[in-house]
Amino acid sequence: MIPDRFEYVAPSSVAEAVGLLQRYGAEAKVLAGGHSLIPLMKLRLASPRYLVDINRIRGLAQLQEDDGTLGVGALTRHADLETSELIRSRYPLLADAARVIADPLVRNMGTLAGSLAHADPAGDWGAAMLAVRAQVVATGPRRDRTIPIDEFFVDTFTTTLGPDEIVSEIRVPKPSPRSGGAYLKVERKVGDFAIAAVGTYVVLDEKGACRQVGIGLCNVGATSLRAKRAEETLRGRVPDEKAIADAARAASEECDPASDLRGPAEYKRDLVRVLIGRALRRAVQRAKGGA
Amino acid sequence: MVISHALGARIKRREDPRLITGRAIYVDDLNFAGMVHVAIVRSPHAHATIRSIDTTAARRAPGVVAVWTGEDVKARCGPLPVGPRIKEMKAPKRFPLVIDGVVRHVGDPVAAVVATTMDAARDASDLVEVDYEPLPSVQDPEAALEPGAPILHQDLGTNVCFRMTYGGGNVEEAFAGADVVVKTRIVQQRLIPAAMETRGVVAQYKGGELTVWTSTQIPHVVKTTLAETVRLPEHEIHVIAPEVGGGFGSKLDVYGEEGLVAALALALGRPVKWIESRRENFIATIHGRGQIDYVELAAHHDGTVAGLRVRAIADLGAYSQLLTPGVPTNTGLMCCGCYRIPNAHAEVIGVFTNRTPTDAYRGAGRPEATFLIERAMDLLAAELKMDPVEVRRKNFIPPAAFPYKTPTGAVYDSGNYERALDKALERADYRALRDEQAKLRKQGRYLGIGIATYVEITGLGAVAGLSGGNWESATVRVEPTGKVTVLTGTSPHGQGEETTFAQIVSDRLGVPVEDVVVLHGDTRAVPHGVGTFGSRTTPVGGSAVYVAAEKVKDKAVQIAAHLLEAAPADISTDGARFTVRGSPERSVEFKDVARMAYKAYKLPAGMEPGLDVTHFFVPKERVFPFGTHLCVVEVDPDTGEVTFRRYIAVDDCGNILNPLLVAGQIHGGIVQGLAQAIYEGVTYDDEGQLLTGTFAEYVVPQATDVPAFELDHTVTPSPHNPLGAKGVGEAGTIGATPAVVNAILDALAPFGVKDLQMPITPRRVWEALEGNSASR
Amino acid sequence: MKVEGTYTLPASRQKVWELLNDPKVLAKATPGIKQLDPLGGDTYKATIEVGVGPVKGTYAGQVSIADKVPLERMTLKVEGGGKPGTIRATGELRLEEQDGKTIVAYTGDAHITGLIASVGHRLIGGVTKQMVGEFFKALENELKS
Ligand SMILES: Cc1cc2nc3c(=O)[nH]c(=O)nc-3n(C[C@H](O)[C@H](O)[C@H](O)COP(=O)(O)OP(=O)(O)OC[C@H]3O[C@@H](n4cnc5c(N)ncnc54)[C@H](O)[C@@H]3O)c2cc1C
Repeated sequence: MIPDRFEYVAPSSVAEAVGLLQRYGAEAKVLAGGHSLIPLMKLRLASPRYLVDINRIRGLAQLQEDDGTLGVGALTRHADLETSELIRSRYPLLADAARVIADPLVRNMGTLAGSLAHADPAGDWGAAMLAVRAQVVATGPRRDRTIPIDEFFVDTFTTTLGPDEIVSEIRVPKPSPRSGGAYLKVERKVGDFAIAAVGTYVVLDEKGACRQVGIGLCNVGATSLRAKRAEETLRGRVPDEKAIADAARAASEECDPASDLRGPAEYKRDLVRVLIGRALRRAVQRAKGGA
Repeated sequence: MVISHALGARIKRREDPRLITGRAIYVDDLNFAGMVHVAIVRSPHAHATIRSIDTTAARRAPGVVAVWTGEDVKARCGPLPVGPRIKEMKAPKRFPLVIDGVVRHVGDPVAAVVATTMDAARDASDLVEVDYEPLPSVQDPEAALEPGAPILHQDLGTNVCFRMTYGGGNVEEAFAGADVVVKTRIVQQRLIPAAMETRGVVAQYKGGELTVWTSTQIPHVVKTTLAETVRLPEHEIHVIAPEVGGGFGSKLDVYGEEGLVAALALALGRPVKWIESRRENFIATIHGRGQIDYVELAAHHDGTVAGLRVRAIADLGAYSQLLTPGVPTNTGLMCCGCYRIPNAHAEVIGVFTNRTPTDAYRGAGRPEATFLIERAMDLLAAELKMDPVEVRRKNFIPPAAFPYKTPTGAVYDSGNYERALDKALERADYRALRDEQAKLRKQGRYLGIGIATYVEITGLGAVAGLSGGNWESATVRVEPTGKVTVLTGTSPHGQGEETTFAQIVSDRLGVPVEDVVVLHGDTRAVPHGVGTFGSRTTPVGGSAVYVAAEKVKDKAVQIAAHLLEAAPADISTDGARFTVRGSPERSVEFKDVARMAYKAYKLPAGMEPGLDVTHFFVPKERVFPFGTHLCVVEVDPDTGEVTFRRYIAVDDCGNILNPLLVAGQIHGGIVQGLAQAIYEGVTYDDEGQLLTGTFAEYVVPQATDVPAFELDHTVTPSPHNPLGAKGVGEAGTIGATPAVVNAILDALAPFGVKDLQMPITPRRVWEALEGNSASR
Repeated sequence: MKVEGTYTLPASRQKVWELLNDPKVLAKATPGIKQLDPLGGDTYKATIEVGVGPVKGTYAGQVSIADKVPLERMTLKVEGGGKPGTIRATGELRLEEQDGKTIVAYTGDAHITGLIASVGHRLIGGVTKQMVGEFFKALENELKS
C-alpha cells in the first residue's frame, strides 16, 4: 500500500493552485480531503506525478447564505455540513445526506467539492446536488465558470472540469417557501457506499401541488443521475400516494444500475422505487412543515 | 477451587495502558541499522504454470539488493510444515516461494524483491516479469470432487486431501423409523480473519544467533519449524512475538514469509523486514470457514431427535496449512451439539481448490458444527410446529448424564444446558417478545427471535502436527526481593493473560497482583511453549501457572518451617507472612523467605536453592463451555435490511477468573459471529479472482453496526483442571451466528422463507422475498 | 463479468460488416486501443489503455477476430496484460438487418485478474457498459463520416 513517487506542492492561493495545474496539466491532481484520491494512490490505481494540496489556501471553507444561494467552499468538509445549524434548520436534504456519508473519520476530512470533482457514481453528494439543482463554480486561468450540476458529470470519475480548473465553490439555491427535502440511503454497513440512495426535493404551491421537483439517484448508473421522468411525473400534481408511486416507478425504470456484489440490477431498481416513495413522503411532509 | 479476592475480581487489563497510549512495540516498530525490506511478487492467476521469470529489470532498479525466485529459495530452505497428518491424508510439500512452477491461488508468492527501503522494494516488484500460462482452475469444492476437475497437485492425482468419518448408533434404522426428517444444505462462506495488525517479520543474524520477530500466536512452534526450514540448529534461533495486534487463528501458522525473511537475513547478513500489506493479508493469509454441509435430522412427532446425518465438504484452498484438516474434523466431532442424539454419522471431506488456503479462524470448525445443528433444530421445530425452545429442551443432555460421550466421540465434561437457556429466556422475557412479534406482524412489521444453544470444545493441548505435545508450560519464579515473574508458553495477543495469570499467582501466593509480571512470546525468556489458540490459554496455560504457583508455595512453606524451626505442617500463611500455628510471635515475612531461598546455607539439607518452579500441565480431557444466545431482529421486507433489536448471551465458561475479560471476549466473539451471519463473506469470481479484495468490499462491521449486548452467565466448573475453567475466547462467535440467522428466518417465516445463505445481506433478503405479494 | 444487449446502427448489414472488419475502424472504435499492428490473419498486436478518470492501466496484448460467418456473426477477442493485472475479453456480435438498419446483438464476457478485479469490482460493471456504448457510438460516427 505504498503509492508511486509524486511531488507534493501546497499553494497558498487559488490563483497559485490554478497556475500549478496549468503548468503540470493532466499530470497533476488536486488534493482536498484525500479520502477518494489517496486510497486510489495507495493501490497505485492512480499515480499522479504532482499533488496540489489546496488545504493551506485560506478562505475556502465557507458555508453561508448570501443573495439567493448557499455557498459551500472547496474546503468545507462533510462534517461541517453535518453539524451546521444553518444546514440542519434549512436544508434537510443536505443534512440527511451529510449524516450518511462514510463514517465520522472520513466526514472530518472529505469535502463536498472533492466528492463532486471525483464523480464517483456512488458519491452521495452528486445525487443530493442534482436534486437541489446546485451549481459548480470552476476557477481556471481565465474567468470563473458556473456549471449547472446537470452538465457537470460526464462519466464515471469524469466531469466537465478542465485539467487546469478547480472547483472553488458549490452554490445551492436557497429553499423556497413550502419546500422540503430528504435523502435516504441503503448501505451494507455504516460507512459503506450506498447500495442505492436517493435525494428528493419538492416545492409545493398554495394548493399543495408540486411546483418544483428534484430527484437525484446515487449508485444506480455510470454517474450520479437525475430522475427526470420521475420529476415530470410528479410536477404539477398533488403528491398523494398514487402520484408518489408513479414517480417512484418512473425513477426505478429510468435508472441504470449494474449488477455487482451489492446486488442484482433488479434489486437496485426496486430499492430506488422503495426509497423514492419514502423520501418523497418525507420531503412532502417537511414541505408542509413537518419534521 | 476457592475464588479469592484476586481470582474472580474485575481487574482492568494491565496491558491496556501501553496499548492505548501508543507505547506498544509491534513488528513494524522495529528498525535496525542496515535493515533491508522485502516486497513479494504474487500470482494474479488462480492456477497457472510459470513459463519464466525475468528479474533483470528489478535487479537493476535503484536500491535493490537481491531478487529471489523459487530456485534461490530452494537452495537455502527446506519445505514448510504440513499440518497434522490425519489418516491417509494427502498433502503436498511446499516451499516459502513457489518452486515447482505452478501457482495455485491468487496471491501465491513467486518472487521476493529486497531493497534498501520499503518504497524501493515495492517499486522494483513491479519490474519482475513473470510469464504465466493460465491453467483451468477449480473454485467450488464440490466441483473439485467431480471427475475431470482440474487437479491442483498433479502428483497426488486427486483434489481430495482426506476423508474422515465420525459416528455411532444405527443411523439408517433411526431415519427409517422416524416420523419426520428435515434437510438442509448450508454454505459456510469463507471469512477473512482481518486482524487489525497484518502479519510482519523481521529477522537478524548476529553473533551466531538468528533472531526472528514475527506477529504470531505460536513463537515456539515457529522456532522449531524454522530450524528445519532454514537449516540452522534450533538453539541458534530466537523467536519473539512482540505485541501482536490480533490473530483470530490467522497467525496460528508457520508461514512461508517467516522462512523467507529468515533465509534472506542469513544470506544477506543484514536485518530484513517484511510487513504484509492489507491487500496481501486478504489473499495470502489464511481464510476461515469455507465448508458446505449437507444436514439431515430425523425425529419423532413429539420432537425427540432420533438421528443426524452430516456430510461436510471443506474447501481447504490450495494447500494444507498448519492446522487446516483440524478445522472441519472439529465439525464432525461436535455436530451433535447439546443434544442427546443416539444415532449420528458425519463424513468430512477435505478438498483442494484454487483459492487461498483455509485454516483455523475463531471457532475453527465448532461454529460450523453449532450452526448446522442449531439450524436443523429450528427447521425441525418449524416442521413440527413446535416452539424452538421446546424442541431444544426436549433433547438436551441432562445434567446428570455428564460426563457424556457423544456418538461422534466427544466426551463432554460438565454442563447444565437448560439452566443457561432458562436464564436467557427470563432475561429476554421470551413470552412477551413472542406477543410483541404477533402484534407487529399484524401491522406488517417483521420481528424475529432467534435462539442458539451451543456447546463447544476448548482446552486443546496441541495437535500432532505441532512441535509441542498436549501440554502447556509455566514457570513461576519468586525473585529474591519477593517480586514474582511468571513465564508462560502461551502467547496472548489481546486476550489479557498478563492480567489473569497475575491474578492466579496472586491468589495462590497471596502477593499483590502488582507484584507479579507475566512474560510471554519470547523463546529465550520462556523455554517451552505451545501457544495461544483454541481457547486453551486459560484452561491449559492458566492451569500450568496454577500448579507451578502451588508448588512454589509448598517450597516456601518448607523454607519458612526450616527458618522458624517448625514442621511444615504447622505453618500457616496469609501470603504476606508465614506463622507457626498457635505461636503468632514466631513468623517470617514472604519476602524474607524469598531472599533466604537463594542462600544455600540457609536452606534445609538437600534442598536446592531458588524459589522457582516450572510445570508442564497436561490436561486429561478437553473442556466444553456452553450457553444460550438469543437475538431479536427486525427485517424490512421492502429494502431487505436487518436491524438488531436486542442481543442476550448467557455463557458458561466454568469458573470466571475475571468478569471484565470474559465480557470482552464474549463481546468481540459475538461481533465476529454476527458478522458472519449478515455482513462478512469472501466472494471469488469463477476464475478465482477475489472480488472482495479491500475493506470497501469485504464488509467488516463497525461499532455502530452491532447491538448492545446483554450478558449473563451460569457457572458449571470443569472437573478437568484445577481452575475449574473452560475457555471463552471463541464461545461468542459460536453462539452468535446461528442465533442471528435463526432470528432473521423467524422474522421471515410468514413469507415461507426457510433458508437463506450467509451473509444475509439486504439483497439476499430481497431476493428471497421477490415476487412475494405480501411484501410488494 | 458479462454484458449483453443490442444496438441498432443506421446502415446495411454489408456496410456494418465491412466496418467491423476494418482494422483502422476497430482501432478507432474500440475504447482504449492506442495502437493496432497486424500480426497476420485476423490478429493484431495491441496497446490498450483503459482508464476512467484518474484510474488508468496500460495493457500490452492482442486483438483478434474469430468465428467469422460473413454478414452474420463474429467474435472479437481482446487479451492483454499490464501492471494492474490481465484482461481477457470476448464479445460475440450477431448482425441482423431490419428495414435497412442493422441490429447488432452482442454478448460479452470479460475476465479481469489482479488488483482491478478485486478492488474495482464496484465500478467494473458500469465501466464495461460504458465502453460497449462508446464502441457502438464510434461505429455510428464512422457510418456518418
Ligand atoms: C472508507 C470510506 C468510505 C466512504 N464512504 C462514502 C460514502 O458513503 N459516500 C460518499 O459520498 N463518499 C464516501 N467516501 C468518499 C469521501 O466522501 C471522499 O472524501 C469524497 O468523495 C472526496 O472528497 P475529498 O475531499 O476527500 O477529495 P479528494 O480525495 O482529495 O479528491 C478526490 C478527487 O477530486 C479532485 N478534487 C478534489 N477537490 C477538488 C477541487 N476543489 N477542484 C478540483 N478537483 C478536486 C481530486 O483531484 C481527486 O481527483 C468514502 C471514503 C472512504 C475512505
